[in-house]
Amino acid sequence: MFNLVSIELYKIFKKWRTYIGFIVVAVLIPVIQIAMLMEGQRSINFMTRNLQQSFLFVGNLLNSYFVSYLILNSLAIHIPFLIALVAGDLLAGEATGGTYRILITRPVSRFSIVTAKFIAGMVYTFLLILWLAIISLGLGTIIFGTGELLNYSNGSIIILAQNDVLWRFLLAYGFAVLSMGVVASLAFLFSSLVENAIGPIISTMAIIIIFMIVSAINISLFQSIRPYLFTNYIDTWRSFFDNPIDVHTVIKSVLILLAHIVVFYSAALFVFKRKDILT
Amino acid sequence: MKKIVPIILIIAGTCFGQATNPDVIIKNLKEAFSKVKDYSVDADIKVDASFIKVPEMKAKIFYKQPDKTHIQSTGFAMIPRKGLDFSPASIFKGKYTSFYVKEDIIDNIKTSVIKIIPLEDNGEVILSTLWVDQSNNVIRKIESSTKTNGTFVINLSYDFSLNKYPLPSSITFSFDVGRMNFAPRNEDSPGMAGEKKPAKNITGKVFITYSNYIVNKGIPDKVFEEKEK
Repeated sequence: MFNLVSIELYKIFKKWRTYIGFIVVAVLIPVIQIAMLMEGQRSINFMTRNLQQSFLFVGNLLNSYFVSYLILNSLAIHIPFLIALVAGDLLAGEATGGTYRILITRPVSRFSIVTAKFIAGMVYTFLLILWLAIISLGLGTIIFGTGELLNYSNGSIIILAQNDVLWRFLLAYGFAVLSMGVVASLAFLFSSLVENAIGPIISTMAIIIIFMIVSAINISLFQSIRPYLFTNYIDTWRSFFDNPIDVHTVIKSVLILLAHIVVFYSAALFVFKRKDILT
Repeated sequence: MKKIVPIILIIAGTCFGQATNPDVIIKNLKEAFSKVKDYSVDADIKVDASFIKVPEMKAKIFYKQPDKTHIQSTGFAMIPRKGLDFSPASIFKGKYTSFYVKEDIIDNIKTSVIKIIPLEDNGEVILSTLWVDQSNNVIRKIESSTKTNGTFVINLSYDFSLNKYPLPSSITFSFDVGRMNFAPRNEDSPGMAGEKKPAKNITGKVFITYSNYIVNKGIPDKVFEEKEK
């Protein structure tokens, strides 16, 4: 299996489109950081305007932690697209390239092929989030330095001590890998159904956008559906910045997202094992 | 004899009783504080409020007559603006009218209650009530109502065994700024979901403990030129 995964990773990183995600992150994050350098203090002053009438603030609230926290909010739309770009091509790309028959005729079971591709997709997801973390926190620390983290939660202002923030980010990024893993799994499932990578990419993004719109509109029918949509749990990484952390919510979200990954992977495996390779 | 006794009592009352003239009380406060030319002090700050969770903070506060203040902190600190400068000069600045109300007991200490009404329109404070410990010429409690920031109460404690100057060893700053909204994430988007949280009543207390006063050792003006938020 290790050899199979290595081969699949080699195939992934041999394609130029794989680097789109890394390039986008490498360009977009510094742009956001420069914008925050110029306008971030105004944003913080706006957030704390009520407090600053009565209190004097001293210290560096515009720091790498605050900016990285804002950047993590981009998990909703931007990162899923970059994930789907690669995950959607894992199986469909073989059909497009006409390499399905060569692949299937090897003395390797379909189960091993699907599993190796799936694991390679997860590895790519992990590497992209790791890259996001390095650019956000690493470059952010060089530009802004570190300090206390200011954020809103449940109608309250929470300020976390400087030495109490990094481990929360590690958990948040870990959770981000899991939630983007669901996106990768969904794109992988669509990839098993079609023979062109564009379809899975667009379908995955369409699902995410529709689910998010349904979650956002304040109608009781939609609100009753909301707990069943995986996009409802993608934002649970914010819980790691509450004080105290709502462990029950985190565990529930982790289990639900893991369940989605298992279901999507199992469905893709089922489809591929029964697939009639004609191209 | 009948005339002498009341005269003696009046003289004794004048000499040994507490002043009830607010101008005299204020003058004594200012004179006592005028001995403090400058000071620096370490402050430990704890916030206990319904709308904010913040860790315990440490800061160093500098003061220089007549009204220069500066705060230094290695990390983040938030300090009540009204708790920074408790010199009588800052409390009794501008034109005001004052009147004596009554005597009151705070922590077994007899205090004189006076009310201060600023006469200028551009000030933030509408009315202040002060509990003055005339035996030590310090303020024990301040209660102020402001135009836009609700009411606040400052309780000041002193430890004259450590510090002979009228500088507090700790203060408790209680505030109530009425109802305000802290924007939830999707508040500004019409029709967006998420619980619309009602405006919160912003109340809370800030406990500041002062230690290591360094008084009248000279503080250069450039210390006060560094910018705070």
